[in-house]
Amino acid sequence: MDGSVLMASLGSPPGTLQTALAGAEPYSDAEVMLRVKAGDEGAFDYLVQKYRRPLVSFMYRMARNSAVAEDLAQEVFLRVYRSRQTYEASAKFTTWLYRIATNLAVNHARDTRKERPEVTVSLDEPDEETGTTMDVRDASMTVEESMVRRERLAAIRSKVEALPERQRLAVIMHKYQQMDYRQISEVLKLSESATKSLLFRAYESLREQLKEFV
Amino acid sequence: MVMKCEEIRDMMPDLASGMAKVTPEIRGHLAGCSACSGKLEEFRQTMALLDEWQAPEPSPYFDVRLRARLREEIAKPAGGWMGWLRRPVLATALTVLMAIGVGMVFHDGDGIYRHDNVVADNDVSSQAEPGTAVGDLSALDKNHDLYSDFELLDDLQVQQNVSANP
Repeated sequence: MDGSVLMASLGSPPGTLQTALAGAEPYSDAEVMLRVKAGDEGAFDYLVQKYRRPLVSFMYRMARNSAVAEDLAQEVFLRVYRSRQTYEASAKFTTWLYRIATNLAVNHARDTRKERPEVTVSLDEPDEETGTTMDVRDASMTVEESMVRRERLAAIRSKVEALPERQRLAVIMHKYQQMDYRQISEVLKLSESATKSLLFRAYESLREQLKEFV
Repeated sequence: MVMKCEEIRDMMPDLASGMAKVTPEIRGHLAGCSACSGKLEEFRQTMALLDEWQAPEPSPYFDVRLRARLREEIAKPAGGWMGWLRRPVLATALTVLMAIGVGMVFHDGDGIYRHDNVVADNDVSSQAEPGTAVGDLSALDKNHDLYSDFELLDDLQVQQNVSANP
């Protein structure tokens, strides 16, 4: 989507932030958020465009469903928007953003624990990522290769999902969001050394459980 | 500087995922420690396996839906004076207070029912039509105090007359 569409829909003059960003000094996300607080809807759109992909990806790995992931990611942005008046730039913006996302994802996982089916491999159901069934497989793959790949993928998903909650969050933030130890420790409200230890145990557990697929 | 296995272990997730560079100190430790170098290799293979789990891109409708939800958010009126009721903690506190209040009324027997009956009786008498038996009786009841006062005044007048004419 063109950023100006959202800005126009929200009734603010387009290009305010982009004009400002064209200057010499780049804005930090916290500064952009302070502009949102001051009523600059274009600044909010900038944050949406910057973080929608990482947030959808984070939520997808937490919720394992792309429609739910999008709903949850949108809810994160709505909460950011609702909290704009009380926002204080004391913490890093991404830490604040991922705290909101983490709370939402954890609550959703707890609320839907009983509804969620086990990760299975099916020949009939389409792969959620590719949208294809085994019938419409990658031409370069044999049926066996495709089946093995999906089995491996199901194992990865289920083993990550089976990790204790904080280990799972730490792995997703570290491995898939490329967040460093300090950021993860801030989001999870742990010490940096506790986060290192948490991540080591999580990867050690995954290594052990996934070794047959390596 | 010589590094310890614990230090390498702490850095292993970052080293295996390529988020940390292998410094000469780390390389030196790995060269002399088969346990750490073996573990690091296994971690790298696990990381490569985890790479296979790709997340989908946001759908083309993501922005449209978000825009619609934002519009709803902006159009939504402020909570108003009853808005605080939407907060679960305050709503729960109100419920508890109401429960305590109801409990106090029912305490020591049939409190609320007795009160209701008195009110009900009054209501019946006040709503009765004049001229009917119930209406006349209730009018007599209401005027009882007034008639008593008249009788008292009559008695006082009689006494004054007696003292004026011995």
